[in-house]
Amino acid sequence: MIEARDISVAIGNKRIVSHVNFAARPGEVTAIVGPNGSGKTTLLKALTGELSYAGTVLLNSRDLSGMKPAEAATLRAVLPQSTSLSFAFTVREIVRLGLISGRSGVLPGEDARLPERALARVDLDGFAGRFYQELSGGEQQRVQLARVLCQVWAPVLEGRPRFLFLDEPVSSLDVKHQLIILNIARDFVRRGGGVVAILHDLNLTAMYADQIFVLHHGQLAAAGSPADVLKDELIEKVFDCRLKVGVLPSANMPFVLPQSAA
Amino acid sequence: MAEQSIVGPVGKVGMSANGDRSARARVVILLLSLALALSIFLSLTSGASDASAIRVIRDWLTEAVPIDAALAARDRLIVYDIRMPRVLLGVLIGAALAVSGAVMQGLFRNPLADPGLIGVSAGSSLGAVAVIVLGTTWLAPVTLALGTLALPLAAFFGGLAVTLLLYAIATRHGRTSVATMLLAGLAIAALAMALTGILIFMADDRQLRDLTFWQLGSLGGATWPKIGTVGPVIVLALAAMPFLSRGLNALALGEATAGHLGIPVQRLKYTAIVGVSAAVGASVAVSGGIGFIGIVVPHLLRLAIGPENRYLLPASALLGASLLLLADAVARTIVAPAELPIGIVTAVAGAPFFLWILLRKRGIVDL
Repeated sequence: MIEARDISVAIGNKRIVSHVNFAARPGEVTAIVGPNGSGKTTLLKALTGELSYAGTVLLNSRDLSGMKPAEAATLRAVLPQSTSLSFAFTVREIVRLGLISGRSGVLPGEDARLPERALARVDLDGFAGRFYQELSGGEQQRVQLARVLCQVWAPVLEGRPRFLFLDEPVSSLDVKHQLIILNIARDFVRRGGGVVAILHDLNLTAMYADQIFVLHHGQLAAAGSPADVLKDELIEKVFDCRLKVGVLPSANMPFVLPQSAA
Repeated sequence: MAEQSIVGPVGKVGMSANGDRSARARVVILLLSLALALSIFLSLTSGASDASAIRVIRDWLTEAVPIDAALAARDRLIVYDIRMPRVLLGVLIGAALAVSGAVMQGLFRNPLADPGLIGVSAGSSLGAVAVIVLGTTWLAPVTLALGTLALPLAAFFGGLAVTLLLYAIATRHGRTSVATMLLAGLAIAALAMALTGILIFMADDRQLRDLTFWQLGSLGGATWPKIGTVGPVIVLALAAMPFLSRGLNALALGEATAGHLGIPVQRLKYTAIVGVSAAVGASVAVSGGIGFIGIVVPHLLRLAIGPENRYLLPASALLGASLLLLADAVARTIVAPAELPIGIVTAVAGAPFFLWILLRKRGIVDL
């Protein structure tokens, strides 16, 4: 379980995230939503230890600030919003970097086959021999996800749940691959892991998230299940535009239909 | 983006469709080992004198009593005390410069990064020039106390001082900003070169000649005592580098991602910086400024075997050593019995190559 108490993050003199409480449980997809500049990525970077923060972050009840990188790497993997690369690595070489921590969780000796399996999961069969820099943005993002999957291939290791942190995992993807990637996230939590994802598409969020944290100006505007959080009034206020929240009767699932800018 | 130009030729050997280049890398490393052995043999057997290394080695192996004792003694002297230390120094320095370049490029995530770039070489030069010019006046007590060790030590500490200063400037709250470090390195290099310029201005004619030769770079000063001084430093630094390869691979994805993968990034950077300044400082101390090995060798190898540091670092050591030996053989023989500074040879070959890299990468190189 990920627990953050009273998290504040400042970059330079500017406070980006103020006094946010956050929790993500194993077995659930926890989404962070909010308008551009609301502090989503900054919050995620605090939760992964990339940015220094005031407050407490607990990873499976252990204080993150006292954890060595190698130890944290066995408990969670992180997909950044974008990754630039300076050398001509092949796709296989990139995905294999996910195995650096050596705790993928498969039987010894099976590690070598993981890159191929991970690439197949993100629908990049046959891409292992391609050069990373030759791929499209969406394909590159899926290669990075394959690398992240290798790092925590088993969602539970030695009885402890592991976590995926995904910063806008589907923003550069077509709709088919958005669904594929989010199904991977669902599968990961079904098998006992936890997922924290920053998402922009409120409809996909409604479909795939168990919990939603809404950020607005660096503060928590709302938190709860999709049905609790996705309400006309709150969403219109946070995103500063007119939209209509309806409910799909067949699935009892909220959906959001934009109307016009405010 | 010109994808083809960044990727380079993709040969058929070992680069199978599955993107695994390790088989090819092993073959290349084996070939480079043979090439180095051949370069060592060539260097031992060629030179301004007609001394025969083969005969010396044969006499030594068979413990035969040579027919012409005087000639044999002369040959032994030339091979043991002139060529052998020179070859060994060439191997050490070629390996040190090439591996340092590869490590710096990994650290800065930039294929154009080079120890010369962040001021390490300039700092080493300043230390050495200070000893040459001020050795009989202001620094006389130091040079008297240290003797022939004064110059290498001054160069070594000059390089280390620059690196530590850079690190202090560029590191805040335990994180090193590579951009700050690169820019500060340029500024410090300019400052060190200006101070070197003042010293050169103060130098007399004899010192100027020393300085010019030293600044152009040469393996001509190789002696066993010098190898005893800088050899262990270079060997230690080189021995530490393989432990960095995993971390440098991860660093290709950025510092944050390397950390998420479990790499202790700060420690990695610190080890790399100290190792590189030790290796480069020691090299500059004995051989002066030998350019372009650090940038050409890793670049060529990345085209052949890819950027995976587990293979790139040892291959760089082998190719760097071979190339420097060949450059030295050219320097020793092309104007025999005189000798060309080796820095001129590496610059004449390396500078156009460097420009070629720049032209091919134009548009996608951003510092």
